[in-house]
Amino acid sequence: MNEHDDRQIHDALRQTFPPVDMELRRDLWPDVLRRLDARPQAIPWYDWALLAVGAGVLLYSPKLVLVLMYHL
Amino acid sequence: MDLLQRFAFGDIDAFETLARKHQGEIYGWIVSIVRDRAIAEDLTVETLWRIYQARHRFRADGNFPAWARRIATNLAIDHLRVRLPEDPLISEPSAGAPRDYLLERETRDQVRQAFRRLPAKLQVTATLALVEEKPYDEIADALGTTTGAVKTRVFRAVRILRKQLTQLGLGPASTK
Repeated sequence: MNEHDDRQIHDALRQTFPPVDMELRRDLWPDVLRRLDARPQAIPWYDWALLAVGAGVLLYSPKLVLVLMYHL
Repeated sequence: MDLLQRFAFGDIDAFETLARKHQGEIYGWIVSIVRDRAIAEDLTVETLWRIYQARHRFRADGNFPAWARRIATNLAIDHLRVRLPEDPLISEPSAGAPRDYLLERETRDQVRQAFRRLPAKLQVTATLALVEEKPYDEIADALGTTTGAVKTRVFRAVRILRKQLTQLGLGPASTK
């Protein structure tokens, strides 16, 4: 690939995608707040995974409940 | 406790201050990638929502704008991956339009279509590097990669575009 061709691709892209207006015209905080209210915080997958591992261990060895209770 | 620490602990007032301070910058970054104001606004809101959800992972001594840019970039990439095919971009010529203008417009439409066939990550990298001319290290930071990887992606994007445009009879020489 030669530099001249690269420059032409570059120029073609700049003509195809003219500059966009990057200025934000309104405050988005109210939308963010609505989103925060609307979507209760999801429990992340790793918490579920941890819970599943814990339940598995307790099922496999129920005596560990005593150890767990001791530490609680 | 400073603002970033309060944010990391879930203080909504601290988050509001940060969101209002950085929303313009986040929006500007996203709109430079997706090039659509309405979509960029939606993605900015989504970015800020995700930032708040991920606040526990933010290091209080970290760089908030850079972290926000990375989340915003990932969302923009996801958007480009699922974007529906656009309406045909080559519109019917209007009766009074000069022929040269129509040819130029058709060429631009074909370049745009070729560009949108690139994988999302290449599109984002090429847009930021070639259209917006952002520094490579800033792009690398936003993409969570190295400047070397950014250069490689730009090289790949240009190579693929050149090939596609040549197949369309629009080699570099005719894209002026």
